[in-house]
Amino acid sequence: MAALLVTLAFAFARVARAEEASPAVRVSPAAALGIWTFAQLIPSPLYVATSDRVGGGVRWQITPFIYSFGVAARPVRAFIIEPVARHTGAIELYGSPEWACCAPGQETSWILRGGARLYLPLIGRGEALTGSLGGSYYRAAGGDGASIEAGIHVLFSTLGITVTVSPRLTGREVITALQIRYF
Amino acid sequence: MTRAMLFVLLLLAAGCGFIGRTLQRNLDAPTEPAKIANKIRDPRRADARLAVLWVGHATALVQMDDIFVLTDPVFTRTVGQLSPRLVEPGLDPDDLPPLAAVVISHMHFDHLSYDSLAMIEDKTPVLLLPPGAKASVPRYAFESRELDRWESYEAGGVRVTAVPVRHVGGRWGIDQAWNPRAFTGYVFQYRGLSVYFGGDTAFDRDRFQETRARFPDLSLALLPICPTEPRDFMRRTHMDSLEALEAFSVLGARTMVPVHYDTFINSDDRPGDCRRLLLEHMRERNLTGDEIAVLAIGEQRVIIAR
Repeated sequence: MAALLVTLAFAFARVARAEEASPAVRVSPAAALGIWTFAQLIPSPLYVATSDRVGGGVRWQITPFIYSFGVAARPVRAFIIEPVARHTGAIELYGSPEWACCAPGQETSWILRGGARLYLPLIGRGEALTGSLGGSYYRAAGGDGASIEAGIHVLFSTLGITVTVSPRLTGREVITALQIRYF
Repeated sequence: MTRAMLFVLLLLAAGCGFIGRTLQRNLDAPTEPAKIANKIRDPRRADARLAVLWVGHATALVQMDDIFVLTDPVFTRTVGQLSPRLVEPGLDPDDLPPLAAVVISHMHFDHLSYDSLAMIEDKTPVLLLPPGAKASVPRYAFESRELDRWESYEAGGVRVTAVPVRHVGGRWGIDQAWNPRAFTGYVFQYRGLSVYFGGDTAFDRDRFQETRARFPDLSLALLPICPTEPRDFMRRTHMDSLEALEAFSVLGARTMVPVHYDTFINSDDRPGDCRRLLLEHMRERNLTGDEIAVLAIGEQRVIIAR
Protein backbone atom coordinates (compact mmCIF):
# COMPACT_ATOMS: atom_id res chain seq x y z
CA MET A 1 0.00 0.00 0.00
CA ALA A 2 2.86 2.38 0.84
CA ALA A 3 4.45 1.67 -2.53
CA LEU A 4 1.17 2.36 -4.26
CA LEU A 5 0.79 5.69 -2.48
CA VAL A 6 4.35 6.72 -3.33
CA THR A 7 3.78 5.82 -6.98
CA LEU A 8 0.57 7.78 -7.14
CA ALA A 9 2.23 10.75 -5.47
CA PHE A 10 5.00 10.78 -8.09
CA ALA A 11 2.57 10.34 -10.95
CA PHE A 12 0.36 13.19 -9.92
CA ALA A 13 3.19 15.53 -8.89
CA ARG A 14 3.51 16.32 -12.59
CA VAL A 15 0.00 17.71 -12.46
CA ALA A 16 1.35 20.61 -10.45
CA ARG A 17 2.99 21.94 -13.62
CA ALA A 18 -0.25 21.77 -15.54
CA GLU A 19 -1.09 25.39 -14.77
CA GLU A 20 1.76 26.52 -16.97
CA ALA A 21 0.54 24.52 -19.95
CA SER A 22 -3.15 25.06 -19.28
CA PRO A 23 -4.56 22.14 -21.24
CA ALA A 24 -7.91 22.62 -22.92
CA VAL A 25 -9.47 19.87 -20.85
CA ARG A 26 -8.34 18.92 -17.40
CA VAL A 27 -8.61 15.49 -15.85
CA SER A 28 -8.18 16.05 -12.14
CA PRO A 29 -5.90 13.74 -10.17
CA ALA A 30 -8.90 12.63 -8.13
CA ALA A 31 -10.86 11.72 -11.26
CA ALA A 32 -7.87 9.91 -12.74
CA LEU A 33 -7.31 8.02 -9.51
CA GLY A 34 -11.00 7.12 -9.41
CA ILE A 35 -10.95 5.84 -12.99
CA TRP A 36 -7.70 3.97 -12.41
CA THR A 37 -9.18 2.34 -9.28
CA PHE A 38 -12.35 1.48 -11.15
CA ALA A 39 -10.25 -0.04 -13.94
CA GLN A 40 -8.46 -2.25 -11.42
CA LEU A 41 -11.80 -3.46 -10.13
CA ILE A 42 -13.04 -4.65 -13.52
CA PRO A 43 -12.69 -8.42 -13.36
CA SER A 44 -11.49 -10.65 -16.13
CA PRO A 45 -14.03 -13.45 -16.63
CA LEU A 46 -12.77 -17.02 -16.31
CA TYR A 47 -13.79 -20.22 -18.01
CA VAL A 48 -12.92 -23.33 -16.02
CA ALA A 49 -13.25 -26.60 -17.86
CA THR A 50 -12.43 -30.10 -16.72
CA SER A 51 -13.27 -33.47 -18.19
CA ASP A 52 -16.53 -33.70 -16.26
CA ARG A 53 -17.79 -30.15 -15.78
CA VAL A 54 -17.60 -26.51 -16.72
CA GLY A 55 -17.42 -23.57 -14.34
CA GLY A 56 -16.84 -19.85 -14.33
CA GLY A 57 -15.03 -17.28 -12.30
CA VAL A 58 -13.43 -13.88 -12.11
CA ARG A 59 -9.87 -12.62 -11.74
CA TRP A 60 -8.37 -9.29 -10.79
CA GLN A 61 -4.79 -8.15 -11.10
CA ILE A 62 -2.54 -5.54 -9.60
CA THR A 63 0.90 -4.86 -11.08
CA PRO A 64 3.37 -3.44 -8.56
CA PHE A 65 6.29 -3.62 -10.97
CA ILE A 66 6.93 -3.71 -14.67
CA TYR A 67 10.14 -3.37 -16.64
CA SER A 68 9.40 -2.42 -20.21
CA PHE A 69 12.18 -3.01 -22.67
CA GLY A 70 10.30 -1.51 -25.58
CA VAL A 71 9.70 2.10 -24.56
CA ALA A 72 11.94 5.09 -25.18
CA ALA A 73 11.77 6.37 -21.61
CA ARG A 74 10.75 5.41 -18.07
CA PRO A 75 11.13 1.63 -18.47
CA VAL A 76 10.31 0.91 -14.83
CA ARG A 77 6.75 1.62 -13.76
CA ALA A 78 4.61 0.59 -10.85
CA PHE A 79 0.86 0.14 -10.44
CA ILE A 80 -0.06 2.71 -13.09
CA ILE A 81 0.88 0.87 -16.25
CA GLU A 82 0.16 2.52 -19.57
CA PRO A 83 -0.66 -0.11 -22.23
CA VAL A 84 2.43 0.86 -24.26
CA ALA A 85 4.64 -0.30 -21.41
CA ARG A 86 3.16 -3.80 -21.80
CA HIS A 87 2.65 -4.27 -25.50
CA THR A 88 6.08 -3.06 -26.62
CA GLY A 89 7.65 -5.85 -24.57
CA ALA A 90 7.94 -6.15 -20.82
CA ILE A 91 8.34 -8.28 -17.76
CA GLU A 92 5.80 -7.66 -15.03
CA LEU A 93 5.28 -8.92 -11.51
CA TYR A 94 1.67 -9.20 -10.50
CA GLY A 95 -0.62 -10.19 -7.71
CA SER A 96 -3.93 -11.72 -8.61
CA PRO A 97 -6.91 -12.68 -6.50
CA GLU A 98 -9.38 -14.86 -8.31
CA TRP A 99 -12.48 -16.86 -7.72
CA ALA A 100 -12.70 -19.91 -9.93
CA CYS A 101 -15.60 -22.25 -9.54
CA CYS A 102 -15.35 -24.67 -8.07
CA ALA A 103 -12.89 -26.31 -5.75
CA PRO A 104 -14.22 -29.83 -5.16
CA GLY A 105 -14.56 -30.68 -1.48
CA GLN A 106 -13.27 -27.29 -0.30
CA GLU A 107 -14.95 -24.47 1.60
CA THR A 108 -13.81 -21.74 -0.73
CA SER A 109 -12.95 -21.37 -4.38
CA TRP A 110 -10.73 -18.34 -3.93
CA ILE A 111 -7.17 -18.46 -5.23
CA LEU A 112 -4.38 -15.97 -4.56
CA ARG A 113 -1.57 -15.76 -7.08
CA GLY A 114 1.75 -14.03 -7.35
CA GLY A 115 3.52 -14.31 -10.64
CA ALA A 116 5.66 -12.96 -13.42
CA ARG A 117 4.68 -12.48 -17.02
CA LEU A 118 6.70 -11.74 -20.14
CA TYR A 119 5.04 -9.73 -22.92
CA LEU A 120 6.41 -9.99 -26.43
CA PRO A 121 5.26 -7.67 -29.23
CA LEU A 122 4.20 -9.67 -32.29
CA ILE A 123 2.52 -7.25 -34.69
CA GLY A 124 2.74 -3.47 -34.85
CA ARG A 125 5.02 -3.02 -31.85
CA GLY A 126 2.46 -5.06 -29.95
CA GLU A 127 -0.42 -2.69 -30.58
CA ALA A 128 -2.14 -5.19 -32.86
CA LEU A 129 -0.92 -8.41 -31.27
CA THR A 130 1.14 -9.28 -28.23
CA GLY A 131 2.05 -12.70 -26.88
CA SER A 132 2.66 -13.48 -23.23
CA LEU A 133 4.22 -16.27 -21.21
CA GLY A 134 4.21 -16.49 -17.46
CA GLY A 135 4.42 -18.46 -14.30
CA SER A 136 2.83 -18.02 -10.92
CA TYR A 137 2.64 -19.46 -7.45
CA TYR A 138 -0.83 -19.85 -6.00
CA ARG A 139 -2.41 -20.41 -2.63
CA ALA A 140 -5.76 -22.13 -2.59
CA ALA A 141 -7.82 -24.23 -0.26
CA GLY A 142 -6.54 -27.72 -0.63
CA GLY A 143 -2.94 -26.81 -1.30
CA ASP A 144 -0.45 -24.43 -2.87
CA GLY A 145 1.27 -24.95 -6.18
CA ALA A 146 2.72 -23.59 -9.37
CA SER A 147 1.07 -22.59 -12.63
CA ILE A 148 2.25 -21.73 -16.09
CA GLU A 149 0.36 -19.63 -18.59
CA ALA A 150 0.38 -18.39 -22.16
CA GLY A 151 -1.70 -15.71 -23.79
CA ILE A 152 -2.34 -13.51 -26.76
CA HIS A 153 -3.51 -9.91 -26.53
CA VAL A 154 -5.00 -7.43 -28.98
CA LEU A 155 -6.11 -3.79 -29.02
CA PHE A 156 -2.99 -2.38 -27.33
CA SER A 157 -2.96 -5.39 -25.00
CA THR A 158 -6.18 -4.29 -23.34
CA LEU A 159 -7.98 -7.49 -24.37
CA GLY A 160 -6.46 -10.94 -24.25
CA ILE A 161 -6.98 -14.64 -23.84
CA THR A 162 -4.72 -16.37 -21.34
CA VAL A 163 -4.67 -20.03 -20.47
CA THR A 164 -3.36 -20.96 -17.05
CA VAL A 165 -2.38 -24.54 -16.34
CA SER A 166 -2.05 -25.69 -12.73
CA PRO A 167 -1.47 -29.47 -12.69
CA ARG A 168 -2.12 -29.81 -8.97
CA LEU A 169 -5.12 -27.52 -8.66
CA THR A 170 -7.70 -30.24 -8.63
CA GLY A 171 -10.82 -29.52 -10.62
CA ARG A 172 -9.34 -26.31 -11.98
CA GLU A 173 -6.28 -27.52 -13.79
CA VAL A 174 -6.95 -25.37 -16.83
CA ILE A 175 -8.38 -21.88 -16.48
CA THR A 176 -8.98 -19.69 -19.50
CA ALA A 177 -9.33 -15.96 -18.91
CA LEU A 178 -10.64 -13.19 -21.09
CA GLN A 179 -8.06 -10.78 -19.81
CA ILE A 180 -9.25 -7.20 -19.58
CA ARG A 181 -6.56 -4.66 -18.73
CA TYR A 182 -6.58 -0.90 -19.08
CA PHE A 183 -3.94 0.66 -16.85
CA MET B 1 -10.79 -8.02 -37.12
CA THR B 2 -10.97 -4.23 -37.07
CA ARG B 3 -14.62 -4.26 -37.99
CA ALA B 4 -15.41 -6.96 -35.44
CA MET B 5 -13.84 -4.90 -32.68
CA LEU B 6 -15.65 -1.81 -33.90
CA PHE B 7 -18.92 -3.71 -33.78
CA VAL B 8 -18.29 -4.90 -30.21
CA LEU B 9 -17.37 -1.40 -29.08
CA LEU B 10 -20.42 -0.04 -30.82
CA LEU B 11 -22.60 -2.41 -28.81
CA LEU B 12 -20.87 -1.34 -25.61
CA ALA B 13 -21.28 2.32 -26.53
CA ALA B 14 -24.93 2.00 -27.47
CA GLY B 15 -26.67 5.16 -26.44
CA CYS B 16 -23.43 7.00 -25.76
CA GLY B 17 -24.25 9.79 -28.20
CA PHE B 18 -21.19 11.16 -29.92
CA ILE B 19 -18.99 8.10 -29.25
CA GLY B 20 -21.65 5.72 -30.52
CA ARG B 21 -22.25 7.82 -33.65
CA THR B 22 -18.53 8.05 -34.41
CA LEU B 23 -18.09 4.29 -34.01
CA GLN B 24 -21.09 3.65 -36.23
CA ARG B 25 -19.76 5.93 -38.95
CA ASN B 26 -16.37 4.22 -38.78
CA LEU B 27 -18.12 0.87 -39.09
CA ASP B 28 -19.99 2.15 -42.14
CA ALA B 29 -16.85 3.57 -43.75
CA PRO B 30 -15.46 1.90 -46.89
CA THR B 31 -13.01 -0.89 -46.12
CA GLU B 32 -10.66 0.31 -48.87
CA PRO B 33 -9.30 3.85 -48.80
CA ALA B 34 -9.78 5.96 -51.91
CA LYS B 35 -6.83 5.80 -54.27
CA ILE B 36 -4.79 8.80 -55.27
CA ALA B 37 -4.11 9.14 -58.96
CA ASN B 38 -0.62 10.13 -60.06
CA LYS B 39 0.88 9.94 -56.61
CA ILE B 40 4.13 11.85 -56.29
CA ARG B 41 7.12 9.53 -56.17
CA ASP B 42 9.89 12.09 -55.81
CA PRO B 43 8.81 14.99 -53.59
CA ARG B 44 12.10 16.90 -53.93
CA ARG B 45 11.34 20.12 -55.78
CA ALA B 46 14.37 21.77 -57.35
CA ASP B 47 12.26 24.82 -58.18
CA ALA B 48 11.18 25.45 -54.58
CA ARG B 49 12.58 27.31 -51.63
CA LEU B 50 9.48 26.33 -49.66
CA ALA B 51 7.04 23.59 -50.61
CA VAL B 52 4.50 21.48 -48.80
CA LEU B 53 3.00 18.11 -49.66
CA TRP B 54 -0.14 17.16 -47.76
CA VAL B 55 0.06 13.44 -47.01
CA GLY B 56 -3.31 13.49 -45.22
CA HIS B 57 -4.72 14.43 -41.81
CA ALA B 58 -1.93 16.25 -39.89
CA THR B 59 0.86 14.66 -41.91
CA ALA B 60 2.67 17.11 -44.15
CA LEU B 61 6.08 17.03 -45.77
CA VAL B 62 7.65 20.46 -45.63
CA GLN B 63 10.58 21.25 -47.91
CA MET B 64 12.74 24.23 -46.94
CA ASP B 65 15.43 24.60 -49.59
CA ASP B 66 17.33 21.32 -49.37
CA ILE B 67 15.92 19.94 -46.12
CA PHE B 68 12.64 18.23 -45.19
CA VAL B 69 10.56 18.10 -42.02
CA LEU B 70 7.65 15.70 -41.57
CA THR B 71 4.73 16.43 -39.25
CA ASP B 72 2.68 13.91 -37.24
CA PRO B 73 3.33 10.98 -39.59
CA VAL B 74 0.43 8.59 -40.11
CA PHE B 75 0.71 6.15 -42.99
CA THR B 76 -1.31 3.27 -41.56
CA ARG B 77 -4.63 1.87 -42.81
CA THR B 78 -6.28 2.65 -39.48
CA VAL B 79 -5.65 4.84 -36.48
CA GLY B 80 -6.13 3.41 -33.03
CA GLN B 81 -6.60 0.00 -34.69
CA LEU B 82 -10.21 0.92 -35.36
CA SER B 83 -10.74 4.03 -37.44
CA PRO B 84 -10.11 3.27 -41.13
CA ARG B 85 -8.44 5.67 -43.53
CA LEU B 86 -10.79 7.26 -46.03
CA VAL B 87 -8.03 8.17 -48.48
CA GLU B 88 -4.70 6.45 -48.93
CA PRO B 89 -1.59 8.38 -47.80
CA GLY B 90 -0.65 11.09 -50.26
CA LEU B 91 2.93 9.88 -50.26
CA ASP B 92 4.34 6.42 -49.72
CA PRO B 93 6.77 6.30 -46.81
CA ASP B 94 9.36 4.63 -49.05
CA ASP B 95 9.30 7.74 -51.25
CA LEU B 96 10.20 10.10 -48.42
CA PRO B 97 13.53 11.85 -48.82
CA PRO B 98 15.96 11.89 -45.89
CA LEU B 99 14.39 14.07 -43.19
CA ALA B 100 15.96 16.68 -40.94
CA ALA B 101 13.38 15.92 -38.24
CA VAL B 102 9.98 14.43 -37.55
CA VAL B 103 7.71 16.26 -35.13
CA ILE B 104 4.83 14.94 -33.05
CA SER B 105 2.33 17.48 -31.75
CA HIS B 106 0.66 15.21 -29.17
CA MET B 107 0.02 11.60 -28.34
CA HIS B 108 -3.44 10.91 -29.75
CA PHE B 109 -3.58 7.94 -32.10
CA ASP B 110 -4.14 10.07 -35.20
CA HIS B 111 -0.92 12.00 -34.53
CA LEU B 112 1.43 9.53 -32.85
CA SER B 113 1.33 6.31 -34.88
CA TYR B 114 3.82 3.68 -33.77
CA ASP B 115 3.56 1.68 -36.99
CA SER B 116 4.06 4.77 -39.09
CA LEU B 117 7.18 5.71 -37.17
CA ALA B 118 8.48 2.20 -37.76
CA MET B 119 7.95 2.72 -41.51
CA ILE B 120 10.20 5.79 -41.51
CA GLU B 121 12.69 4.63 -38.92
CA ASP B 122 15.63 4.95 -41.32
CA LYS B 123 14.55 8.33 -42.70
CA THR B 124 15.11 10.66 -39.75
CA PRO B 125 17.77 11.20 -37.10
CA VAL B 126 15.36 12.60 -34.55
CA LEU B 127 11.75 12.53 -33.36
CA LEU B 128 10.68 15.65 -31.51
CA LEU B 129 7.96 15.33 -28.88
CA PRO B 130 6.06 17.44 -26.37
CA PRO B 131 6.98 17.19 -22.67
CA GLY B 132 6.10 13.85 -21.13
CA ALA B 133 5.45 12.07 -24.41
CA LYS B 134 8.68 10.12 -24.61
CA ALA B 135 7.43 7.60 -22.06
CA SER B 136 4.59 6.76 -24.46
CA VAL B 137 6.84 6.16 -27.46
CA PRO B 138 8.40 2.83 -28.36
CA ARG B 139 12.13 2.62 -28.80
CA TYR B 140 13.25 3.26 -32.39
CA ALA B 141 16.57 3.61 -34.19
CA PHE B 142 16.26 7.42 -34.18
CA GLU B 143 16.66 9.64 -31.15
CA SER B 144 13.44 10.65 -29.39
CA ARG B 145 13.68 14.05 -27.76
CA GLU B 146 11.16 16.11 -25.80
CA LEU B 147 11.00 19.86 -26.32
CA ASP B 148 9.52 22.07 -23.64
CA ARG B 149 7.72 25.26 -24.59
CA TRP B 150 10.05 27.65 -26.48
CA GLU B 151 12.83 25.09 -26.33
CA SER B 152 14.64 24.48 -29.62
CA TYR B 153 16.37 21.62 -31.38
CA GLU B 154 19.10 22.59 -33.80
CA ALA B 155 21.07 20.50 -36.26
CA GLY B 156 22.49 21.16 -39.70
CA GLY B 157 21.19 24.70 -39.74
CA VAL B 158 17.61 23.67 -39.01
CA ARG B 159 15.98 24.96 -35.86
CA VAL B 160 12.73 23.48 -34.54
CA THR B 161 11.10 25.31 -31.65
CA ALA B 162 8.15 24.10 -29.57
CA VAL B 163 5.45 26.75 -29.39
CA PRO B 164 2.32 26.90 -27.22
CA VAL B 165 -1.05 25.72 -28.50
CA ARG B 166 -4.22 24.71 -26.72
CA HIS B 167 -5.10 21.04 -26.70
CA VAL B 168 -4.79 18.06 -24.35
CA GLY B 169 -2.04 15.62 -23.43
CA GLY B 170 -2.35 11.91 -22.86
CA ARG B 171 -3.07 9.02 -25.17
CA TRP B 172 -5.27 6.64 -23.26
CA GLY B 173 -7.73 8.96 -21.54
CA ILE B 174 -6.87 9.20 -17.88
CA ASP B 175 -3.17 9.71 -18.58
CA GLN B 176 -4.13 13.30 -19.40
CA ALA B 177 -4.01 13.73 -15.63
CA TRP B 178 -0.28 13.07 -15.39
CA ASN B 179 0.61 14.32 -18.88
CA PRO B 180 -0.91 17.79 -18.68
CA ARG B 181 1.78 19.36 -20.86
CA ALA B 182 2.10 16.73 -23.59
CA PHE B 183 0.88 18.83 -26.51
CA THR B 184 2.61 21.47 -28.60
CA GLY B 185 2.95 23.29 -31.88
CA TYR B 186 6.25 23.89 -33.65
CA VAL B 187 8.07 26.45 -35.73
CA PHE B 188 10.69 25.20 -38.20
CA GLN B 189 13.38 27.68 -39.31
CA TYR B 190 15.95 27.26 -42.03
CA ARG B 191 17.85 29.82 -44.11
CA GLY B 192 15.43 32.63 -43.37
CA LEU B 193 12.28 30.53 -43.86
CA SER B 194 9.88 29.98 -40.96
CA VAL B 195 7.04 27.46 -40.93
CA TYR B 196 4.42 27.11 -38.21
CA PHE B 197 2.76 23.76 -37.49
CA GLY B 198 -0.23 23.96 -35.13
CA GLY B 199 -0.75 20.22 -34.60
CA ASP B 200 -4.16 20.03 -33.00
CA THR B 201 -5.26 23.19 -31.28
CA ALA B 202 -8.23 25.17 -30.16
CA PHE B 203 -8.28 28.87 -30.94
CA ASP B 204 -6.12 30.70 -28.40
CA ARG B 205 -5.39 34.28 -29.36
CA ASP B 206 -2.86 34.81 -26.57
CA ARG B 207 -0.75 31.83 -27.54
CA PHE B 208 -0.83 32.71 -31.22
CA GLN B 209 0.16 36.29 -30.39
CA GLU B 210 3.01 35.07 -28.20
CA THR B 211 4.23 32.96 -31.10
CA ARG B 212 3.97 35.86 -33.54
CA ALA B 213 5.95 38.06 -31.15
CA ARG B 214 8.82 35.58 -31.26
CA PHE B 215 8.40 34.59 -34.92
CA PRO B 216 7.18 37.72 -36.68
CA ASP B 217 7.98 36.54 -40.20
CA LEU B 218 6.22 33.22 -40.71
CA SER B 219 6.29 32.11 -44.32
CA LEU B 220 3.72 29.38 -43.88
CA ALA B 221 1.24 28.14 -41.26
CA LEU B 222 -0.10 24.58 -41.27
CA LEU B 223 -3.34 24.90 -39.35
CA PRO B 224 -6.04 22.34 -38.46
CA ILE B 225 -9.60 23.14 -39.52
CA CYS B 226 -11.39 20.04 -38.24
CA PRO B 227 -13.02 18.31 -36.35
CA THR B 228 -15.75 20.77 -35.50
CA GLU B 229 -18.90 18.87 -34.52
CA PRO B 230 -20.38 18.56 -31.98
CA ARG B 231 -19.14 22.12 -31.59
CA ASP B 232 -19.77 22.52 -27.86
CA PHE B 233 -17.55 19.50 -27.28
CA MET B 234 -14.91 20.21 -29.93
CA ARG B 235 -14.51 23.95 -29.34
CA ARG B 236 -12.34 23.36 -26.28
CA THR B 237 -9.76 21.41 -28.24
CA HIS B 238 -10.17 22.12 -31.97
CA MET B 239 -10.50 25.13 -34.24
CA ASP B 240 -13.10 25.27 -36.95
CA SER B 241 -12.41 26.81 -40.36
CA LEU B 242 -13.33 30.33 -39.31
CA GLU B 243 -11.13 30.17 -36.22
CA ALA B 244 -8.28 28.76 -38.30
CA LEU B 245 -8.51 31.77 -40.61
CA GLU B 246 -8.46 34.05 -37.57
CA ALA B 247 -5.45 32.15 -36.20
CA PHE B 248 -3.73 32.63 -39.55
CA SER B 249 -4.38 36.34 -39.27
CA VAL B 250 -3.16 36.54 -35.67
CA LEU B 251 -0.02 34.55 -36.49
CA GLY B 252 0.68 36.89 -39.39
CA ALA B 253 1.84 34.11 -41.70
CA ARG B 254 2.01 34.80 -45.42
CA THR B 255 0.36 31.53 -46.48
CA MET B 256 -1.82 28.96 -44.75
CA VAL B 257 -2.24 25.31 -45.62
CA PRO B 258 -5.25 23.73 -43.89
CA VAL B 259 -4.75 20.23 -42.50
CA HIS B 260 -6.47 17.68 -40.26
CA TYR B 261 -9.62 16.96 -42.24
CA ASP B 262 -11.20 14.42 -44.63
CA THR B 263 -8.80 11.59 -43.77
CA PHE B 264 -10.33 9.81 -40.76
CA ILE B 265 -13.71 9.88 -39.04
CA ASN B 266 -13.30 11.28 -35.54
CA SER B 267 -16.30 13.57 -35.17
CA ASP B 268 -19.83 14.28 -36.39
CA ASP B 269 -18.42 16.12 -39.41
CA ARG B 270 -19.07 14.59 -42.81
CA PRO B 271 -16.11 14.35 -45.19
CA GLY B 272 -16.02 17.60 -47.12
CA ASP B 273 -17.82 19.69 -44.47
CA CYS B 274 -14.75 21.44 -43.07
CA ARG B 275 -13.25 22.13 -46.50
CA ARG B 276 -16.56 23.52 -47.79
CA LEU B 277 -16.88 25.82 -44.78
CA LEU B 278 -13.30 26.97 -45.22
CA LEU B 279 -13.92 27.87 -48.87
CA GLU B 280 -17.10 29.76 -47.89
CA HIS B 281 -15.25 31.75 -45.23
CA MET B 282 -12.42 32.46 -47.67
CA ARG B 283 -14.93 33.93 -50.14
CA GLU B 284 -16.51 36.07 -47.42
CA ARG B 285 -13.09 37.41 -46.45
CA ASN B 286 -11.84 37.79 -50.00
CA LEU B 287 -8.96 35.43 -49.31
CA THR B 288 -7.35 33.90 -52.36
CA GLY B 289 -5.72 30.59 -53.06
CA ASP B 290 -2.35 32.30 -52.81
CA GLU B 291 -3.01 33.10 -49.17
CA ILE B 292 -4.91 29.93 -48.26
CA ALA B 293 -3.53 26.99 -50.22
CA VAL B 294 -6.21 24.32 -50.01
CA LEU B 295 -4.50 21.13 -51.11
CA ALA B 296 -5.88 17.75 -52.04
CA ILE B 297 -4.36 14.79 -50.25
CA GLY B 298 -1.21 13.95 -52.16
CA GLU B 299 -0.94 17.41 -53.70
CA GLN B 300 2.28 19.34 -53.43
CA ARG B 301 2.40 23.14 -53.62
CA VAL B 302 5.40 25.40 -54.05
CA ILE B 303 4.83 28.20 -51.56
CA ILE B 304 8.01 30.14 -52.37
CA ALA B 305 9.77 29.46 -55.64
CA ARG B 306 13.49 29.80 -56.15
